[in-house]
Amino acid sequence: MRLRDTARALQTTLPIRACAVAPASRHALRALPASFGFCLERRMMESSDETAVERQRVHLRPDSLRDAAPVTLHLLPCEVLASRPAPVEQFFTPAIRQGPDGEALAAAAPGSLRALTGLHVSFRGRSLRGEEVAVPPGLEGYVMVAEGEGDGPRRQDFSGGRKDGGAEELELLERDFDRFIGATGRFRRFTLWGLETAPGPDAKVHGALAWPRLAAAIHAQVPED
Amino acid sequence: MASDVDCGDPAGVRQHVFLLPDYFKDASKKMKSGLMFVKLINPCSGEGALYLFNMCLQQLFEIKVFKEKHHSWFINQSVQSGGLLHFATPMDPLFLLLHYLIKADKQGKFQPLDQVVVDDIFPNCILLLKLPELEKSLHHVTEEKEIDKKKYYKYSEEKTLKWLEKKVHQTVAALKANNVIVGARVQSALFSGDQASNDKEEDYVRYAHGLISDYIPKELSDGLSKHLKLPEPSAPLPNPPSKMTTQRQKRGK
Repeated sequence: MRLRDTARALQTTLPIRACAVAPASRHALRALPASFGFCLERRMMESSDETAVERQRVHLRPDSLRDAAPVTLHLLPCEVLASRPAPVEQFFTPAIRQGPDGEALAAAAPGSLRALTGLHVSFRGRSLRGEEVAVPPGLEGYVMVAEGEGDGPRRQDFSGGRKDGGAEELELLERDFDRFIGATGRFRRFTLWGLETAPGPDAKVHGALAWPRLAAAIHAQVPED
Repeated sequence: MASDVDCGDPAGVRQHVFLLPDYFKDASKKMKSGLMFVKLINPCSGEGALYLFNMCLQQLFEIKVFKEKHHSWFINQSVQSGGLLHFATPMDPLFLLLHYLIKADKQGKFQPLDQVVVDDIFPNCILLLKLPELEKSLHHVTEEKEIDKKKYYKYSEEKTLKWLEKKVHQTVAALKANNVIVGARVQSALFSGDQASNDKEEDYVRYAHGLISDYIPKELSDGLSKHLKLPEPSAPLPNPPSKMTTQRQKRGK
């Protein structure tokens, strides 16, 4: 990524080698192994029903992509060892301030995708600085939840009651051990937070966001002779 | 994967943050189903990996995940540990098919495609045969014969290397277009503020070769390296000097 801004670049504490963008594809960005965190899938694996697991398909409900409501996302520079409801709007959001350097940066790079920078907040007493990050053009962000998670006892048969009016296409694609996932929210940008200093253009997540453009080239059909 | 941490949390619903092509939303108007995640082979490692089929558009997507230590999401009024960001990006199914073609080539004969793409461990590989573009692109990597209107294929390493060479060149073009720094002289280049002109063509080719090698078996990657006439890589760089001092010099223009 280009160092557009000396002021912001000086704040960064990332190692210099992080400047080379696409190593993201080899380091931080990786092919998702088959142990993708659909929890139930793993449980089934443990229950030794391996054949079913390997054959399993997880269907993404297409209508959920259209119906998903806008969602607000913050990427924090710390690991919170739990996944559960949290009063973000009560404690976190009202404490976000736009700092003076943020205004200077916005003036220096008008119209930039990361125009809204220099955000301040504190979390567990530590000072965080953040910036808005846009989802790359041609992509859309979604938050997705596997059906049957977090709603009481997990059922073994996920096809029951899920079939959609007997549509033939659906019947062909779905099988008894198939599972479903749906989008619950969609987003075009999120707030990226760094500890003490703003993440800046060298942040690894920016490198990762360049991946779709490289992937397009790697996987495009080659010209004929 | 960080999934171990929170999976057992009774209060938590695991939320996955994804970036998908934005045209999925429009294509989805026509379908009730047809987007599905399946496990298929990773043609480089031979292990399982996650892919997404869009049966409506008849396209294959690869799922990659951005994962960095010490990150979590706030998603509306909830917290999701791990901070994972998943990408679904288009995948050339020929890379997957190549895995099966090379395996079948051990038998040394022409075979119909449905006998080539057979996998006890990843039975969903038969979905590949539903991609119409795939058969058209097979000539890049196989010799083919037609007998009684049925087509038979045999892996050709020579053709595959030519095909991969084209892949490398179009990847090089994308690396340049996206100003990706590929050279071994990243640091000195940054001092001059104009690294693009300092990166040698060979560095781009080597870098692109590395990216493509993530999709092909090791032996083929080595063959491609020879085909591209890439010299053996030179000694690895020493560690960069202390970061803050260097950055001050570099950026305090």
